Amino acid sequence: MTRYVMVADLRRCIGCQTCTAACKQANATPPGVQWRRVLDLEVGEYPAVRRVFVPTGCQHCSDPPCEWVCPTTATRRRPDGIVQILYNLCIGCAACAVACPYEARYKVEKREYAFGHEPTADEALRADDAVIGVATKCTFCADTIDAGVARGLTPGEHPEATPACVNLCISGALAFGDIDDSESRVSKLLRENKHFRMHEEQGTNPGFYYLWDRDPS
Amino acid sequence: MATGANHAVKAVPSYCYNCVSGPDLLTVKVVDGVATQILPNFAAAGIHPGDGRVCVRALGLIQKTYNPDRLRTPMKRTNPRKGRAEDPGFVPISWDEALDTIVSRLSEIRARGLRDEAGLPRVAASFGHGGTPQSYMGTFPAFLSAWGPVDYSFGSGQGVKCVHSEHLYGEFWHRGFTVAADTVLCRYIVSFGANVEVSAGVCAARRHADARIRGIKRVQIEPHLSVTAAASAEWVPIKPKADGAFMFAMLHVLLHEHPRERLDVAFLRDRTASPYLIGPNGYYLRDPRERKPLIWDSNQSSAVPFDRAGSVPSLEGKFSVADCLEIGPDGVIWRHEQAVGATAFTCLVEHMRAHSPEWAAPICDVSAATIRRVANEYLENACVGETIEIGGDLLPFRPVAVVLGKTVNNGWGGYDCCWSRTMLAALVGALEVPGGTLGTTTRLNKPLGNRLATVRPGEDGFMAANLNATDKEHWTAQPTGRNAHRTLVPLLGDSAWAQALGPTHLAWMFLKEVPPHWQRPSAPDVWFVFRSNPAISFWQSSRLVETMAEMPFVVAFAYTFDETNHMADILLPDATDLEATQLIRIGGTKFQEQFWEHHGVALRQPAVAPRGEARDFTWISTELARRCGLLESYNAAINHGTGCVPLTGSDYDFSLDTGRAHTVEEIWDAECKAATAQFSNGAEIKDLAWFKEHGFYTVPFKREDWYLYPTMVENNLRFELPYQERLSRAGRELGNRLHEHDIHWWDDQLEEYAPLPLWDDVPARWERALRKMGGDPADYPLWLITTKSMQYSAGNNAGIPLMNEVGRNMRGHGGVIINVETANRLGIRQGDAVEVRSVTGCTRGHAVLVQGIRPDTVVIIGQFDHWKTPYAKDLHFPSLNTVAPISLDLTDSTGSGSDLVRVSVRTSVQS
Repeated sequence: MTRYVMVADLRRCIGCQTCTAACKQANATPPGVQWRRVLDLEVGEYPAVRRVFVPTGCQHCSDPPCEWVCPTTATRRRPDGIVQILYNLCIGCAACAVACPYEARYKVEKREYAFGHEPTADEALRADDAVIGVATKCTFCADTIDAGVARGLTPGEHPEATPACVNLCISGALAFGDIDDSESRVSKLLRENKHFRMHEEQGTNPGFYYLWDRDPS
Repeated sequence: MATGANHAVKAVPSYCYNCVSGPDLLTVKVVDGVATQILPNFAAAGIHPGDGRVCVRALGLIQKTYNPDRLRTPMKRTNPRKGRAEDPGFVPISWDEALDTIVSRLSEIRARGLRDEAGLPRVAASFGHGGTPQSYMGTFPAFLSAWGPVDYSFGSGQGVKCVHSEHLYGEFWHRGFTVAADTVLCRYIVSFGANVEVSAGVCAARRHADARIRGIKRVQIEPHLSVTAAASAEWVPIKPKADGAFMFAMLHVLLHEHPRERLDVAFLRDRTASPYLIGPNGYYLRDPRERKPLIWDSNQSSAVPFDRAGSVPSLEGKFSVADCLEIGPDGVIWRHEQAVGATAFTCLVEHMRAHSPEWAAPICDVSAATIRRVANEYLENACVGETIEIGGDLLPFRPVAVVLGKTVNNGWGGYDCCWSRTMLAALVGALEVPGGTLGTTTRLNKPLGNRLATVRPGEDGFMAANLNATDKEHWTAQPTGRNAHRTLVPLLGDSAWAQALGPTHLAWMFLKEVPPHWQRPSAPDVWFVFRSNPAISFWQSSRLVETMAEMPFVVAFAYTFDETNHMADILLPDATDLEATQLIRIGGTKFQEQFWEHHGVALRQPAVAPRGEARDFTWISTELARRCGLLESYNAAINHGTGCVPLTGSDYDFSLDTGRAHTVEEIWDAECKAATAQFSNGAEIKDLAWFKEHGFYTVPFKREDWYLYPTMVENNLRFELPYQERLSRAGRELGNRLHEHDIHWWDDQLEEYAPLPLWDDVPARWERALRKMGGDPADYPLWLITTKSMQYSAGNNAGIPLMNEVGRNMRGHGGVIINVETANRLGIRQGDAVEVRSVTGCTRGHAVLVQGIRPDTVVIIGQFDHWKTPYAKDLHFPSLNTVAPISLDLTDSTGSGSDLVRVSVRTSVQS
C-alpha cells in the first residue's frame, strides 16, 4: 500500500512563507486562500518565551471529520491517502470547513484578484470557475504526483512528482513521501526523530508529522 | 485552469538578485506566453548552496510583472512645481521625446563642464539596496563610465543604515565587507541581532537549518525575539545598543578569567600585531633606521623589528627599549634614547581589566552570570589547537563565531562592536579560519570578485590599506562629492564603491543647511534614480522630500509611481526582472552567506515580453550613449568589463566594435562568450543561445579560498589588531585639517579614533541629542527599533499583494510590536490604533502585543510609510523613518547612524 504524508521539521522551519507563496502559485489560489501556511506562535512569558513556526494545512487524515460530515461524498480519500474534494459533487455547504480541526478548508463565493477588480494576465489565464462556491484545500499537489508517478517518478524524491511547497522549501523543513515505504525519506526521518501529529487526540490519524528533536534510540 | 497538453508550456532559467543575499537561481514557468510560477532551478542542486532555490520574495516577480499599476510608457512632468502636495501632471511621451529631453540636458552639461564651480559632478545617480540594482541595469554602468564624474552621494539608506561599520572596519581588518560565521563547520555562534534567518537569504537559511540538525548552538542577543532568535538555542534580551558592553565583558572573561594558554597564543603572536611595542605617546615604538615597529625578541631579550628572522616575539610585558622612535600625526617624530614599551596585547589586557561581566550587567540588563557563561561557552567551543584538512591543506579549526546585525553594526558604538567581535575571533585564532568568523567579499578593495587577491603587503607587516589622505599636502579639503566621503572619512578610501558608502545623509542635509565654515553644495543638474526610494527609505523622510523637490531635473527609471519619482521630470519604464537580458557573476563568496564551491555566471533573459513600451535597460543605455555622442567610450567601457567581464582576455577576444551601436543581443552574446572563455581558461565558449537554454555556467571554486588565513600566512602578514595605531593617527591628522579650516562640528566624531575603543554609551548619547533637539527623555521613555520581514521588504515588494498576504502570517507585520506588560501599563490593547511619537515626528499603526520583546522597546517591521506607491500607500503601515531624525550628533566617525529612536507610544484615542 501507499500512504503519502508530509513531514515538517520544526527545528528547520523559519516561517519564511515560501511554501505558502509556492502553494498559492502552484494552485492559483485567490487572495486570502492559503492551502499551505506557516503559523507564527509564541509560548511563555517574558523573558522565558519561545517562538515557533508551524507549517500547516490539510493533514490528509485517514479518518477525516471533513469526510464524515460531507453530505454529497464530495470529500473522499484516495487509496494513496490523499483526501480530495470532487468539486463537481460539492454543494458548498461548508460543513467540512466547520468540522476540520485544522482550519484547512476555504470557500470563496466569487472571483477575487490580487490587485482589485481586474485580473492580471496570469490570473486571467488560470481562472477556474470550478473552485468558486465550493470547498477547497491542499491536495498534496495530487495532479503533480499523479503525473510524476505515471512517468515512473517517486514523490518526495523527484521534484516533478513532489508538492510545490516541498520543492520550494528553502530550509529543508518540509519532506514528502510514502510512509508505507520503509526506505522513503519520510520513513527515515520519522525513525530518526521524535515527532508528533497535530490534535492527534481527536483520532483523525493525520498524515502530517512534526519533527522536533533527534531520537537517540 | 490553463494546464495540460493544449497549452504551450516552457521553463525559462533566470536569477533573482533583488537583495544583497543573492544571487539565487530560478526557473520561470511560462504558459501560453504568460509567466505563472517561479520555481527552483534544480539543475543547480549541489552547485548553489541553496540547491537552486529562491526565497519567498522571488515569488512576487509574477505579480510584479503583471502589476496593473506599472508605468508602460515614458512620461514627462507638466507641473514645474515640485512637492508632495503637487500633482506632477505626468503625461505619456514617446521614447524619442524622453531620450531627446534627457540628452538635451546632458549636452548642456557637457558644454558647461562636467563639474560645477565647486568641483562637484553635475550629474548624480542613486541606486538602492546595496548595489543589487546593478544586476538589473544592463549596461547602464558603461554609460555612466563613459559619461565621466558622477556623484553617488545621495543614498536611500544604503551606505549609512546598512551594516556600515562592518563594511569599513571589516574590510580594513580582514577583507570582510560583510562578515559571516563559517556556518557549515561552526559549533557556537554568538549573534548580536544578526537576523540571518530573515535577511541572509536562501543560502543562510539552508546552512543554518543544516547546522541546527548537526547540533550548533546559537545564542541570539537582541532586544526583541526575532525570527532568528526563534530559531536559536537561546534568546538573551539585551538593552538596545548595549551590545558593545556585552562583548567587552566577553573579552574581559577571556583575558582575565582564564589561563593564557586557553587562547590561541601562536595566532596572536604571529598573525596579529599583539607583540608590537607601544610607546609613551601611544604609537608603535619603531626602529630608528628602518622605522619598522619593534617587538621584544624573547630569544635575545632585545627589541628588534617585527619581521626580524628567527625572532620569537613576546606577547606580553613591558620592556625598556633604547634608541627608538614613535611616529605621530603629521610627521611628528618622538625620538627616545630610552623608552618603556608595553606590547599591544598588554595594553589590551589593561584596557579590558575594568570591563567585567559585573560592569556590563547593568548596562545590558543581562546578568553577569549569563554574560560569563556565554563567554565561557564560546571559549570551550573554540577548539584552540585543533586543525582540519581543507583542500589538502591543514588549517586551524576554530568553530566559534560572533556575528553582528544592523543597528548593532552601524552608527555610534559600531566601532566598539566591530572591534570587539574581531578581537573575540582573534583571541582564539578563529579569524578567517575554518569554523570561525569570515569575511564574505570586498567592495572597497579591488578586485571585487576575489577578496584573496586584494591582499597586498603594506606597511608595518599589515595588508595595504587604501585610506583617504589626511596629511596637509594631500587631504581633500574641497569635497569631490556632496557627502564629502574623502574629506571626512579616511577609512573609506576612494574606490568606486567608496562614495556610495560615505555619509550619504550628509549629502541630503547639506543641500538644506550647512554647518559653520562648510560650503553649501549645489544640487546636481541631473539626478538619475533607479530602484531607489529615499523619500521613504531614509530617516526624517518628510525633510528629504522637501530637499528632493529642489532637484532641478530628475530622471527616474520607474516601475510604478512612487514617492521619489513623484519629483521626477522624466519617467522611463525599464523592462523588469522577467523581461530583460543580463549576465551576472555568481558563486565564490558573496554577502550575506553565499559561500559556494563553484563560481561562474548566470543569465537573466526575457521569460515574457515587456509590458507596454518598457525597454531593456541595455537598449536605453546604448541609446543614451549614442545620442550623447559617447558611443565609442561606452563600447570601450563594455569591452573593459563594465557589463560583466572583460570582453578580451589572454586567449579570447569578443570585443565590440567601438564605432557603432550594438543590439542588446549582440552585447550579451559577447559577454556570454567572454565569460565562459574566462572561467574555463579558453576551453569552452558558450553563446547567448546556450545560456538561454541552460541559464548558468560554473566551474569549481576552491573551498580553501573561503578563508583569508592561508593568504595571510603566505604573505607573512599580520591582522591589524588589537591596537589601531594607523587609524588613530589618521583621526588626529583629520582633526588637525578640520581645525585648520575652523571646522569643529565633527569633533565628537574625531574622538572615536581611539587606538583601543572606549565603551560608547550610545543610549546616553541619544538622550543628549534628544535634549538638544528640545525634547525631554522622560517624555520619550521607549526605544523604537526596526527589524526586517523576509516577505515584505526590499523596495518594489511593497507594492505586491502576494508579499503582503504571506507577510501577514508573521506577527507584527504592518504593526507596532510592544511588550504585553508595557501595553497594559499604557492602556493599550491588542489591535489598538497607536501613535508612536518622537521629538521629530509621529507614525501610526496597530498595536501587536507580544511577550517576546523587552518592556522598554518597541519594534516596527520594515521601513515603509508610502503615500504614493500604488497598493502600498493604502496599507497605512507605520515606519521608523517617519520619526527618526537626521542628525550630525547621531552620526559616527564613519558617517553612519543607527535605526534607533526614543519614542512614546499611546493609543490614538488617548492622543
